[in-house]
Amino acid sequence: MKNVIIIAVKLAVICLVAAFVLALVNGITAPQIAASKAQAELDALSVINKAGTIGERVEGDGAGVNYYFPVTDGGKVTNYIMSLTSMGYGGNLVILANFKTNGEIIDAKLMEDAETPGLGKKAENAEYMNKFKGTGADKPVPVKKTMLESADADAVTGATITFTGVSKALEYGSEFAKKLGGQK
Amino acid sequence: MIKEFTKGLFKENPIFVIALGLCPTLATSTMVINALGMGAGVIFVLVCSNIFISLLKNFIPDNVRIPAYIVVIASFVTIVQMVMEAYAPALYAALGVFVPLIVVNCIILGRAEAFANKNKVLPSILDGLGMGVGFTLALTLIALIREVLGSGTITLPGCVITVPVISIAPMRVIAFPAGALLVLGLLKAFFQYKEGRK
Repeated sequence: MKNVIIIAVKLAVICLVAAFVLALVNGITAPQIAASKAQAELDALSVINKAGTIGERVEGDGAGVNYYFPVTDGGKVTNYIMSLTSMGYGGNLVILANFKTNGEIIDAKLMEDAETPGLGKKAENAEYMNKFKGTGADKPVPVKKTMLESADADAVTGATITFTGVSKALEYGSEFAKKLGGQK
Repeated sequence: MIKEFTKGLFKENPIFVIALGLCPTLATSTMVINALGMGAGVIFVLVCSNIFISLLKNFIPDNVRIPAYIVVIASFVTIVQMVMEAYAPALYAALGVFVPLIVVNCIILGRAEAFANKNKVLPSILDGLGMGVGFTLALTLIALIREVLGSGTITLPGCVITVPVISIAPMRVIAFPAGALLVLGLLKAFFQYKEGRK
């Protein structure tokens, strides 16, 4: 009995020390991580916003749209830049995308993911989003591999789940942009 | 003493000879840069956990040593993860999923159990370094073969080399997990053959 208590106390001491050290490191690194995330979003916003002024951040619907920024040009809303979430292969995907008010995709960027390097992680490249550009209004957003050109379909081979996650998020954002339809 | 370092490189190479840590080997050997990053993370965690487990070997009760090792290893991995995310966000973005995988890398638990808890601090450091470098060398070799044949490129920190001819029609299967098993198996057979002829 006494032995069990000694073992438990020793294990608890190890855990306590580990927790304390981790808390200390977290305290040092957390502000730095938050700052670099905010900076990454600012950089991405300036890349995918083609024209107009980015307005105040508006909270999303809690389902697929985290939040969005209306983009105005001469007092009129022309675009929406949205932060979208969906499921990928390794976890959540967070995508920042720019839509016209008619739902057309102008540009998009994968901000956060836990996909497999060499396969799904290729979605982080800027070229990956080219196959979605211009879709959403007249042309439907490609959500299946059969809706892609063969070269693009080859490029997503081995990472179909990532492709589905990205395309579903963009399709949802496109519909959301249509619903907002020019309102702030 | 120096033998503790060199044994991990070839004679007891963790991947090709002891066959430890195969799971992350298959997962991270798609690109050379991933192999190097994963190797650096493993070397750091392996050396740190070997130091602490060697220091604590008389404090840790024998019948709960595995949970105690896991706590020590997981703490170091979490520290690596937080520091990497804060100060090397590009590397963290590339390696994201694999960093937590270091916790369950059996090389680290294996060396804690087989070496660090029976030896003094200095040999444990050398053992960790040797095993870590051996792991990195083997991983990089597999990644080099897979990336050249599977994608036709060599991705190094800061630059991408495109291999002519192969990059036009790479053997995609080599880039997939099945290809990793093939390459690993053939390399192991090759080293076994070399060893057997001595």
